[in-house]
Amino acid sequence: MKAVALELYKLRRKRLLPMTVLFLGVEIAWAFAAAARSMARQSGPAGWEPVLAALASMNGLFLPILTAVCVSRICDMEHKGNTWKLLYTLSVRRSGLYAAKFAAAAAVMLAACLVQTAAVAVFGISRGFGPPLPFALLARFFAGAALPTLVIIALQQWVSMAAKNQTFALALGMIGGFIGLAADFLPQGAGAFFAWAYYTGLSPVVVDYGAAAAGTGPPLFTVTDAGASLAGMAWLSAAGAILCLAGNLHVSRREV
Amino acid sequence: MEPVLATHRLAKRYGGAYRVKDVNLAVHEGDIYGFLGPNGAGKTTTLKMILGLVRPTKGRVTVFGKDMEKHRRDNLRNIGALIESPSYYGHLTGLENLRVVQKLRDLPDRNVAEALAVVRLDKHKDRKVDQYSLGMKQRLGIAMALLSFPKLLILDEPTNGLDPAGIGEIRELIKSLPGRYGMTVLISSHLLAEIEQIATSVGIIRDGAMLFQGSLETLKAKSRPAILMKTRNNRLALDILLHGGYAPTLRDEPGGDCLAFDDLPDDEVARINRKLVENGLDVLRIEERRRTLEDIFLDMTGREGSLQ
Repeated sequence: MKAVALELYKLRRKRLLPMTVLFLGVEIAWAFAAAARSMARQSGPAGWEPVLAALASMNGLFLPILTAVCVSRICDMEHKGNTWKLLYTLSVRRSGLYAAKFAAAAAVMLAACLVQTAAVAVFGISRGFGPPLPFALLARFFAGAALPTLVIIALQQWVSMAAKNQTFALALGMIGGFIGLAADFLPQGAGAFFAWAYYTGLSPVVVDYGAAAAGTGPPLFTVTDAGASLAGMAWLSAAGAILCLAGNLHVSRREV
Repeated sequence: MEPVLATHRLAKRYGGAYRVKDVNLAVHEGDIYGFLGPNGAGKTTTLKMILGLVRPTKGRVTVFGKDMEKHRRDNLRNIGALIESPSYYGHLTGLENLRVVQKLRDLPDRNVAEALAVVRLDKHKDRKVDQYSLGMKQRLGIAMALLSFPKLLILDEPTNGLDPAGIGEIRELIKSLPGRYGMTVLISSHLLAEIEQIATSVGIIRDGAMLFQGSLETLKAKSRPAILMKTRNNRLALDILLHGGYAPTLRDEPGGDCLAFDDLPDDEVARINRKLVENGLDVLRIEERRRTLEDIFLDMTGREGSLQ
């Protein structure tokens, strides 16, 4: 805990918080505007589903990039200041340092996911969707955003710590954002191999654009069965754990 | 007495070439050990191996009698180090940088205040380190290494990039550490003049191999004077003297070649002079040449090296 607090302390003046807030603000505003447009086209009472579907889809683009930037900031300060040597001569466990950086990035990004979920709740209430608040749906949305983010943090951290030049890490984040955005268009099964594709894959709401494309009706929003996501979550968790361990092992054993 | 720091046949190979080979270093308590060698001699690699930043190809390191590989974290608690260029977080202030080390080492606030005062950065502690001059960054690096007031301080070329005033300041600081805080200091440098003024023991390394290790006095004892003699025909004089049982060498000097003898008594010099004159050779000049520490040093490390 002390090590995580220290990582956050080192982020002073890095403007990570304003940057994250701005990034999230743009994404949430965009998603809510898209959901409002979608709801306006539909007849009948408006619901939570279009908002959750829109935000989950936007997450595919925004969260990989935000994660890449956030992780890069946390790792790059060590490269820039040549501080790996200092840290490794301070009787600090290397694997502990790696874990602290992961936890610091996770704290920032999970807070971002939590803010998104709270924003959906506020938006829904202000639009008269509830009460009651659909806690289960919101929790599934949060988990669907948080889990891929944690795996992406593991991957980004490995790249950011291994390569001094952060262009690689940021480029990977951009590629991830593109994959996340295009996840629904990937061939059946191919998406399972990309962590970025899980933002829509683990979304509690799926959208069927069939009728909208044919011009016969609005898009159809369906709440998926929670059990159907479990296999994907398990696979993603395993991939995340492997990435964390492999990255930690690789970076910790490296000579500086 | 067991040394505070010892390396035993320490070696590091990169590819097929040894960067450091069979280095046996022994630093005793209270020493200021000057680790000297030209650039690229293997000083930093050796120090990195001592600190566990680089894995040795073979050999081992003991610090305070404990094997470094087995007790690395324990040992590091008693070591402060500055390796190569200073490490710092440029976006943080000097004080915040020290706070990072303080938190990682779990040290009291008074250590921060004292370290800042020792390196005379207390007036600049609230400035961002990106705005520091190179000398101030170097002093901050030393403050970070000093923060726990460790038993062993390892400084790798701490005066690199400093102006003469800065070098003098760091020198005085390092000299004061053993007396003031009971520290043992291992300092590497390629500058002989710097080490000569502060070290009590020296180790000289070249091409990864230790050439000399001992007290500065032992090294200075090697600077016995030589007698240089210039004659009208040095080659003929050499033959005559070799046949006469003397052992001069022919030395290339800026003013032309000459005969060189290890330290000789005055009577012997007179006899050699007489012998040459009796053989019809004019003796043009006889002079005593005292070898400086720098001469010894350059002879050891190679004059083509960058040692200054």
